[in-house]
Amino acid sequence: MKRIARLALALGTAMLMTSIGHAEQKTFKIWWFEEPTTAQGIVWKKALEEFKTKHPDVTVSFEQKTFQQLQASGGMILNSDQAPDVLEYNKGNATAGLVASQGLLTNLDAYVKKEGWDKILNEGDFVLSRYDEKGIYGSGPVWGVSVFGEYVSCFYNIDMFEKAGLKPPTTLEEWVASMEAFKQKGLTPLALGAIDTSGQHLLASLAYTKADDAWVQNYQGLKAPLDGAPYLYAAQTLVDWVSKGYINKDSTGMKDPDAALLFTSGKAPMYVSGTWNLGTFASTIKDFKWGQFVIPTPKYSVGSTGNLWVVPKGSKNPDLAAEWISLTLSPKYQAELGNAGGVPIAADLSAITNPIGKNAAAVFKQISDKSGLGFYPDWPVPGYYDVLNQKDTGLFQGSLTAEQFVEQIKQVYDDAQENQ
Amino acid sequence: MAISSQRSSDGSRSYSLYLIPGAIGFILIVLIPQLANLGLSFTAWKGVGTPRPVGLQNYHRLLTDDQFWGSMYHTLLFIVSMTVIPVCIGLVLAALLFDYVRDQFGEWVSSFFRAGFYLPQILPVTVAGVLWGWILNPVGVINITLKAIGLDNLAQNWIGDATYALAAVSLVIVWIQVGYCLVVFMAGLSRIDPSLYEAAELDGANWWSRLVTITIPLLAPEIFVVVLTTLIAALKVFAPIFVITAGGPDNSTLVPSYLTYYHFFTTQRVGYAAAIAVVQTTLTIALAVIFLRFQSQQEAKE
Repeated sequence: MKRIARLALALGTAMLMTSIGHAEQKTFKIWWFEEPTTAQGIVWKKALEEFKTKHPDVTVSFEQKTFQQLQASGGMILNSDQAPDVLEYNKGNATAGLVASQGLLTNLDAYVKKEGWDKILNEGDFVLSRYDEKGIYGSGPVWGVSVFGEYVSCFYNIDMFEKAGLKPPTTLEEWVASMEAFKQKGLTPLALGAIDTSGQHLLASLAYTKADDAWVQNYQGLKAPLDGAPYLYAAQTLVDWVSKGYINKDSTGMKDPDAALLFTSGKAPMYVSGTWNLGTFASTIKDFKWGQFVIPTPKYSVGSTGNLWVVPKGSKNPDLAAEWISLTLSPKYQAELGNAGGVPIAADLSAITNPIGKNAAAVFKQISDKSGLGFYPDWPVPGYYDVLNQKDTGLFQGSLTAEQFVEQIKQVYDDAQENQ
Repeated sequence: MAISSQRSSDGSRSYSLYLIPGAIGFILIVLIPQLANLGLSFTAWKGVGTPRPVGLQNYHRLLTDDQFWGSMYHTLLFIVSMTVIPVCIGLVLAALLFDYVRDQFGEWVSSFFRAGFYLPQILPVTVAGVLWGWILNPVGVINITLKAIGLDNLAQNWIGDATYALAAVSLVIVWIQVGYCLVVFMAGLSRIDPSLYEAAELDGANWWSRLVTITIPLLAPEIFVVVLTTLIAALKVFAPIFVITAGGPDNSTLVPSYLTYYHFFTTQRVGYAAAIAVVQTTLTIALAVIFLRFQSQQEAKE
């Protein structure tokens, strides 16, 4: 009887210990929306494996999300008890700024010093990490950290340029001259999808050729009613380019992937879009050599530091989240990002062997070092993305004049500026 | 067993038991969210945080919003492409298949066509929309074909030009809707006494007069159902617009549902989006009620 009692006691203790053991097994939840084939997707997956090995006591649960999912319902998720410990979130006033101002994120100021992120990133790289109490970027605590960069440039077909005796342009005049040369050969030089972003990115790039520091800061910070002059120049130029045949009027019926296809299949010599195309272009373009040139502007380029790692307010493992961010910022994974064809934010260029990633990282550094990230045109006003797309198509198809275009986008901008 | 013993006196109550699951579903999934939406329409809310009451401000804004009125006008046009045209085409096609093709070529051919026309109803709308987006874009199949056969002049920027965009999206919608009308009408036709047609034929009535004098009057109940359901679908059309044109170019295909979605998820004007949804719902319910009244009056007359 005694023996049975002892056995029962031992079994009971063992069971109790196991259950305590289970209770101690931490779960670390992480989400991102980078597609598995993109540079970020590939490299973060590897980093996650290392993270798991380092923490055998932690159950790491990763979920692949879509950009749309978090764009549409991110706020509600962060407001619930379902939020993960760390997740990728879109930067900007209307997204990260909004949830930060609503108290849904963890203030990362302490970790910036503790993890030494301020030694890796410069103050410019933190501009989109800081949001004030109104959710406006640029000042206030650090609410998220970006570990990659992105910028809009002109992709060009090197073979077609060489055949036409052209060099990648370094001034706006040279760019126009190269378009004229292709036009003379009966080609539409610039592929464009006006339904999607490439129309507004080209528009903003052209506006930046006439924009100074004050304009960019006022515009992006929603600090004053819209000074339409740079946009008027940009819109007029686009109307001009359509009439000269540099851009096809039918672009209004095309999405970005349709336009990208014209470039990747060698039908159009140029395509203005962002570095997020690098991976796809590298894997799909086999028949010709291609490169990128930065759209010739005095200072600003459309682009920004990448999406942010943010830590929700309810995260049970903020220390682990910070460790994860540090891992993706480490020299090893920054170099890996460049080698996967991505745009690392703080990589040692000599450690990158992939020429595409190396070039992209160098160009990004060049833009970032002169504080030339002009950001995206839709950022200041929630919903401006659709407004710009809609009005762009009006401009391209000729139902809006440049003046009407500016008047209409100014109305929406000023309305938001007044009511913020 | 108590229920069966009281069947005669308590019949309606026992039947009402069967309504409970549906009623619970309705309350949870339709009624409560609708009431919450109504409440939200009187607030300014960014989607997170606390909604701030603003009274009738959102409704006031609606009155002067060109985008909203533009979208309402487009709805009227979508009633034509989702209800009027598919019902007319569906009627003629159903009569043709039932009355002519089946007799001439047999049941199998008629069924084949019926299934073919119904196919777009089975495809998810988003899939169909993406496919049509490829077909209609400036370098899509339609333009390539037109150019290949020398009809370059007919090639257009179908979804990128405001002149054609609404018609192009309507075409896709007609393509989707015809099958639904056709199948319901064919089912209705099968209950019509064939001797009526035989008699009419013996009297020398041609195909058109048989359609007008026999088919349409006898199909009235089916026509009512189809018109009502497609009308409601037209008032809340969203998916084809979302996938094919995103309301563009320059808002020329914008509809209230898309405007609601746009304000809810991108401009952070959730209260305003709710107000649009309230107006849209009210209109839909009002139209449905008027229509059902009209139908019951017609039935009473018969």
